[in-house]
Amino acid sequence: MNNACENGLKRRDFLVTLAGGLSVGFLTGITGRLFGAGAVTTTPVNSYVKVGSDGSITLLYGGSEMGQGSMSGLAQILAEELMVDWKQIVVEQALAGSITYVTGGSSAVRTNYSPLRTAGATARELLVAAAMLATGDQTRSSYAAASGKIVYTPSGGGATLTWNYGDLAVLAAGTDAQALLPAVIPLTNPANFRIIGKPVARVDIPSKVNGSAIYGIDVWFPDMVFGVIKHCPTIGGVLAITPAKPAAAIAVVPCKASDNRGAVVAGTYNAVAVVASNTWAARNIARSLSVSWKLPTSTTNVDSAGILAQAQQLLTSGTPLVAESSNPGANAPNMESQVASAMTGAAKQVGGTFSFPYVAHATMEPLNCTAKITFSGSTPVSCEIWAPTQAANWVVGTAAGITGLPATAITVHVTMLGGGLGRKIEQDYISQAVQVAMVVKKPVKLTWLREEDFGHDNYRPMALVQANAGLDAANKIAAWSYRIVTPSILGQRGWLPPGAVDSQAVEGAVHLPYNLGTYITEWVSSPAGIPLGFWRSVGCSLNSFVTESMIDMLAKTAGIDPFVFRAGLITDPRAKAVLAAADSLSSWRKSLVAGHAWGMAIVQSFGTWVCEVIEISQPVAGSLKIHRVACVVDCGTVVNPDSVEAQMQGGILHGLSNALWGQMTFTNGVANQTNFNKYRMLKMSEAPTITVQIMPSTAAPSGTGEPGVPPSAPALANAYASLSTGKRVTSLPFFPGATMGGL
Amino acid sequence: MFTLNINGQNYQANVTDGNTPLLWVLRDVLGLTGTKYGCGIEVCGACTVTIDGQREHACVYNVSSAVGKKIVTVEGLSTDNSHPVQKAWINNQVPQCGYCQSGMIMATVGAINAGHHGSEILPEVPHLCVCGTYSRLKKAIQTL
Repeated sequence: MNNACENGLKRRDFLVTLAGGLSVGFLTGITGRLFGAGAVTTTPVNSYVKVGSDGSITLLYGGSEMGQGSMSGLAQILAEELMVDWKQIVVEQALAGSITYVTGGSSAVRTNYSPLRTAGATARELLVAAAMLATGDQTRSSYAAASGKIVYTPSGGGATLTWNYGDLAVLAAGTDAQALLPAVIPLTNPANFRIIGKPVARVDIPSKVNGSAIYGIDVWFPDMVFGVIKHCPTIGGVLAITPAKPAAAIAVVPCKASDNRGAVVAGTYNAVAVVASNTWAARNIARSLSVSWKLPTSTTNVDSAGILAQAQQLLTSGTPLVAESSNPGANAPNMESQVASAMTGAAKQVGGTFSFPYVAHATMEPLNCTAKITFSGSTPVSCEIWAPTQAANWVVGTAAGITGLPATAITVHVTMLGGGLGRKIEQDYISQAVQVAMVVKKPVKLTWLREEDFGHDNYRPMALVQANAGLDAANKIAAWSYRIVTPSILGQRGWLPPGAVDSQAVEGAVHLPYNLGTYITEWVSSPAGIPLGFWRSVGCSLNSFVTESMIDMLAKTAGIDPFVFRAGLITDPRAKAVLAAADSLSSWRKSLVAGHAWGMAIVQSFGTWVCEVIEISQPVAGSLKIHRVACVVDCGTVVNPDSVEAQMQGGILHGLSNALWGQMTFTNGVANQTNFNKYRMLKMSEAPTITVQIMPSTAAPSGTGEPGVPPSAPALANAYASLSTGKRVTSLPFFPGATMGGL
Repeated sequence: MFTLNINGQNYQANVTDGNTPLLWVLRDVLGLTGTKYGCGIEVCGACTVTIDGQREHACVYNVSSAVGKKIVTVEGLSTDNSHPVQKAWINNQVPQCGYCQSGMIMATVGAINAGHHGSEILPEVPHLCVCGTYSRLKKAIQTL
């Protein structure tokens, strides 16, 4: 607790010294709300709650706010149980440490919901215990907590007493109060929730409309220097000769490659950082810097044509691992033969080969990191890092490995993230900044200019899928075979045990809600020369496209409405309810104007059911007009319905944008798309009207950051297949090679 | 050294290369980081400011050309979020990650300066938002 307090104070010291007039801005940026800089002392009641002598209530946030709203969502959970009003609280980003966690997998609310309720309630009970110490009366029912006050009403009559939390904080933080904590911390009855489930205003938004939110790329010190990174353009290439420092540069620093947890790869320098007095100067020096690279002996595994050829071969002749089947006891050949037999006996069959490109994260804020190392002579003494990171605690390890410092000498500030989408879990850009800070011995901000950000991403992997299915005479699925060839995200980073199926490769292809009859789902691992990463919804961005396209193809073959067909195959009651709600919400589809078509898809991902119905037309060949989307979501208990709506809106557009145009291609190891002009994305004028309906639920909360994405692409494809000028799209993107003009 | 009028204040920008884009002068030299770098090639719009009232892309606007003109960045609208565009953004809870929003807001301000209102503003904001805040952006803009 003392550490947390010191860290909090240290943070504010930094804030106040930062760039003079900008310091107030930084406060709003990080905390979401401005609070005065008077002589306020704060007392940590527990790891998540600090109470100020002025009555201020500060809630610590251990995640990474990248637009998904969890900085507010987690605070809502704490505030609910702490019995404070939403307008009373300030949210403060925690330094890397005991309460920070890896932000990914749409996990913030679903994994923190119960622990944070308990944390908030524990802080509340400690404050009650402090009041008990003040009165000497330990009758819990005589105390009530509300709006940041404890009110004591003696059971035998007498005057009531009222304390602000600030009056009790010091006592609450002591061991005497802890001794009075009940064995079981009572939680609020959900029927009485005041803040959970309410569309409260997000705490980070005020700072995002006046320039005061501080993203990693905005960290600024008067004495800092600015670096840009220049990787070997060919993936897998390394530095042959360290280039001489041009006179205009402050430094040219060779940077070692690092693995996915930040450990540097000895002797493998895959980039140089150029440091100058500002980013533009660094950029110009880097552009004109002639660097001698040693290229990989073969680029087959980092070339789109080569990779596709290998995948095509593996699709027919590779050795599959069974991810799931209707008969878990059977081995692959046995099961494949059972499915083949059922397929032959089916009344009607559909099938297709589906292909997917690599796609980029393309976060609006490119990768960057600021590092400052203090030295005693040439020995590092301490290291401070400011980074837009989804994995604060890993950053500590990355810095420890490079500096040789213990974790206690490393401070990691998580800034606002201008999008993360899975990319900012990686450690490469952090490692490079620390390596540069070791050399320049000044605070340094290292930025990946957009060309480097596109050209050296950890990409969503390509995939090739062969899917076949057969219907029986009653139009039920009798046979289903599914084989995906895709490189392994987990395997590439050494996280996959030998012989195991990569869960990321098959998510969205297993645990389907449909009765598939006799079925097999297999994965064939393909070579992974391109760096791979977790991209919003990961495997579901591949597999759900195939499965929901296949279901639509089956429905069309059966001549049955896609809603009716799915309803006949789904047994999960929540899925059935979502389907029925989407049917009602999209009643407009029954009276579309001529030349329009609709399509739908339903997917469960990260625990959440989402059904999307999309209306399109094609006024001109080579593009589509997306008119509207109806979306029904069941994500269990809702913390902030406004944030759920926003995540569905955003996830749908992200999925549609990438379905239409998203594609990275590589020629001999070099990325062909290096900026947004060659990586077209949806714009406001192209965005459909989106209606989101949230199912009421008392089930445990599930994810919302990613689940909007998976149904959008197949729903679009299913609509396109119904359009008179359309066709069944089995290869993404819909319109490859699209470019985007300037403003 | 260039003298720049930003948000009504004069700043001395210590930079030797007059071709340096205003974006990097604002961000790196002056520490005014509300204006964002997104693409550097006038495609995404994140760097939008107004110069003499018109929306401009700071990533390609030379600092030497900005001398003697009135530059307004997102920081110049208000610090208490009282500007009508800021209010519309908050009322509609527009931002997600928020990184593109400075540019969206400044392009909207530029469109209003040019006499546009409501839906007329929409074509003036052809920027990129990877989070997909377009539904709420449209709602917010249509109130202006």
